[in-house]
Amino acid sequence: MKIYTRFEEARIIGARALQLAFGAPPLTKIENEIVDPLVIAEIEFERDVLPITVKRVMHGV
Amino acid sequence: MANVKKNKAKTKVIEEKEVSVNIDEIISDYAESLPYSIKKDLAKKLKSININKSEIINIVKKVKERYEIHRVDPYESVGIVAAQSIGEPGTQMTMRTFHYAGVAEMNVTLGLPRLIEIVDARRTPSTPMMTIYLKKEVSSDINKVKKVAKNIETTLLSDVTNIYTDLEQIEIRIIPQMELMKSLDLDVMDLKKTMMDNGGPIMKHLKYNSDENYLYISFLSIEGKEGNVITESPYASLKNLLDTITNLSVKGLEGVKRAIIKEVSGEYVIYTEGSNLKGVLGVEGVDTSRTYTNNIMEIYEIFGIEAARESIVNEIKKTLDEQALAVDIRHIMLVADIMTNNGDVRAIGRHGISGKKTSILARAAFEITGNHLLKAGVTGEVDNLNGVAENIIVGQPITHGTGAVHLVYKTDKKRSEQKENLKK
Repeated sequence: MKIYTRFEEARIIGARALQLAFGAPPLTKIENEIVDPLVIAEIEFERDVLPITVKRVMHGV
Repeated sequence: MANVKKNKAKTKVIEEKEVSVNIDEIISDYAESLPYSIKKDLAKKLKSININKSEIINIVKKVKERYEIHRVDPYESVGIVAAQSIGEPGTQMTMRTFHYAGVAEMNVTLGLPRLIEIVDARRTPSTPMMTIYLKKEVSSDINKVKKVAKNIETTLLSDVTNIYTDLEQIEIRIIPQMELMKSLDLDVMDLKKTMMDNGGPIMKHLKYNSDENYLYISFLSIEGKEGNVITESPYASLKNLLDTITNLSVKGLEGVKRAIIKEVSGEYVIYTEGSNLKGVLGVEGVDTSRTYTNNIMEIYEIFGIEAARESIVNEIKKTLDEQALAVDIRHIMLVADIMTNNGDVRAIGRHGISGKKTSILARAAFEITGNHLLKAGVTGEVDNLNGVAENIIVGQPITHGTGAVHLVYKTDKKRSEQKENLKK
């Protein structure tokens, strides 16, 4: 079963890609040809190495 | 040979019995979280086919999996999607015909005007209509059905009598047409009684001429007598009385202008122009569980909000289906939910949902911005910026989609715990 909704996934990958774009080192082994921070972030997300998660709150309650 | 065949048939019957007992159990074991209606459909379909238990379990599991994939994620903009999904086919509708001869030679509002009527939550639709189903013992016998229809359809006094005014004597004479009256099971005394009950105080002067069989009110004889209720001149009150008398209903239900009997799949069904659900439910021979009206507010008043919600869904779906427009029922259900979620039926638009939003900025964004802001300023209203429109106005991320997600940092140890929590 999926743990994240597609919005959460997009948000996590987006946040991580921003860090990578600013020069953060990848948290997992990435092949040399891959340079796009968004692709690297996706790989990191898939391999479940990101220390980022979501906090689910009730909005407007 | 014949014996073997018999045996086989026997075992088959036993197997089927076993399976049908198990199916509900299997569904509640493997797919408890599915909505009731899906579970019911699934059980019905599974019972109609002959397969073994493990296959049934696989099917149930697959259904649950597909259902979960097809659910929308939290913070999906379902309202916008619903609006577009109904709005686009709506543009096709305006180009097509407005009115259309519906069931049983009756004119029923259809298409866009009907759709507008439903979402506006009008008190009465422009063409109220009832579909009256009858109990089994009545619905097959045309004579009994006709009798029921006569009890439903309004009959006016002027329909069964000739009403004459004698200006010389200043007198109104009501001469019954006995054949018509007989066909409706009415006699002169019935007429007299309904007139006395519903015609106002002047009716106590109503008299019956038994020699020539007619009812009359003589104004000259009233004047100057004790208990005189006439305040105007006899001539003027005669004219007034004539109006009330001609429109007096002597039989049937108020508001039901016409009743048409039609045969639908082996039973007779009564369709009516005009709606009076409360009255019809009290008529003998009517099947109260299937009888239907297209007046949503009437359903709301009699059966409550859940029935009203259901009928909003049904009516919108029916209107769109008649125009051959395919709109997913979930969009319509969302509309019905929004219209009914606070316990009464609210219209979509200025007088309903949009005009009564709690957020002042959202209301100002909708219509008459200046007035709303001024009023809010004078009364010191507070806006907590919970909704979407407010946050767009102040330039913040909106609480939809990715904008609603809050990221947090988690250490390795906490991450595994978190994952367990999210899984639940």
